Amino acid sequence: MTGLQLANLDDFLARRWEDVVELALQHLAAVAISLALATAIGVLIGLLVWDRPVPRSVSLTAAGIAITIPSLALLALLSPVLGLGWAPTIVSLVFYSLLPIVRNTVVGLREVPGHLVESARGMGMTPAAVLLRIQLPLAWPVIVTGIRVAAQLTVGIAAIAAYVAGPGLGVYIFRGLSSLGSVNALNFALTGTLCVVLLALLIDGAFVLITRYSTPRGLRA
Amino acid sequence: MTVHTGQRNALRRFTTPIAVVLVLGAVFAWVGTLDLDSIESRTLNAEHLLDRTREHLVLTVVSSALVAVLAIPTAVLAHRVRSRIVKAVVIGLGNIGQATPAVGVVILLAIVWRTGFTTALVSLVAYCFLPVLRNTLTGLEQVDAATREAARGMGMTPNQVLWRIELPLASPVILAGLRTALVFSVGVATIATFINAGGLGDMIVNGLKLQRFSVLLVGAVLVAAIAVLIDWAAGLVEDRVRPRGL
Repeated sequence: MTGLQLANLDDFLARRWEDVVELALQHLAAVAISLALATAIGVLIGLLVWDRPVPRSVSLTAAGIAITIPSLALLALLSPVLGLGWAPTIVSLVFYSLLPIVRNTVVGLREVPGHLVESARGMGMTPAAVLLRIQLPLAWPVIVTGIRVAAQLTVGIAAIAAYVAGPGLGVYIFRGLSSLGSVNALNFALTGTLCVVLLALLIDGAFVLITRYSTPRGLRA
Repeated sequence: MTVHTGQRNALRRFTTPIAVVLVLGAVFAWVGTLDLDSIESRTLNAEHLLDRTREHLVLTVVSSALVAVLAIPTAVLAHRVRSRIVKAVVIGLGNIGQATPAVGVVILLAIVWRTGFTTALVSLVAYCFLPVLRNTLTGLEQVDAATREAARGMGMTPNQVLWRIELPLASPVILAGLRTALVFSVGVATIATFINAGGLGDMIVNGLKLQRFSVLLVGAVLVAAIAVLIDWAAGLVEDRVRPRGL
């Protein structure tokens, strides 16, 4: 029976590829919006805490604990407050992205050699200029790696968000479940899952390029 | 170490469980003040909560134990083979495994096989196998070649090198992989409710479907508490087991 259902997969895709592309774009949009927000918030937190031991350890510990919370639990807890759909999806994706981004911002900023910062100050640069022209550019490759880890994490979690009527390819995975026993159940779940894998690999590939072209020239390997 | 810093360390070490207990206490105190209707009282009683929690823990612990027993020896074998191709395949598969959504694995397996507890267990093992395999292999590969050679030069057999040099030196990376697998399993076990495998996910899903916020809240908070406590306990074990020189 399984073979028979699989044999229809090309037919299934031919009829629904527009649908699949739209879900994939939604999935990508959810991940991209969340990453943009999480980068803004995470880098800001990192900047505020990286050279203060107590706030640093408190925020890293809190983010480390937050990331262990199962995503279905968080989505469910958010839904009475934020309703269903995009809102709980984006908020939870930002939530899970914070740990890798904050941690890598802290690590990246701490790895900037102290004598560089000092000589920049000695040249008469203002603290803001030191931050923008010395510290952040030098820490950037490490920060991008954090965003990349967050991207991999959120692509998978976004699939679960379909359960609270969130956007993206998870819709197909859950449709497979709800049509369990029917002809297309496997097609739906398989299409959804494989497209998520493909999307994750494509995004990871894109990050190779992003890392390369957003790294200051002198730091490129 | 002075007594004072010792006390502070102890305090820091127990901050997490104390916070978890406080949150659980607050949630249960709040639920205690509610007038429960028939749906709520059917789930919000000690027996039901303990059953769901037990199912959840069994699923998590058994699958992680199976993963440890299966993935670590496989990694040692792959390491022993000393073939670049085998390693590249393991790392590549590990990357694809990481990109696969857990909910997809669980639901696909339920569709092609059957629903229920065993399916959930198998999909949990399948899902956590590759990350642990990859971590173990990476840990073994990271052992300094000079150290390995020195051990061989002292006359150790390859087996002695494995047990007395490579595995202890790789243990932090291996344990970190197992800890991630454990925490992952708590989350994936929540999803197991979709394929009728029980666990605390039942309460979350029922609470959502029947619009009973109290049921949803208790289920979600319990599952989060389990995840946080398991991570905390694994962290303690990690510190305890790490070879002293590291």
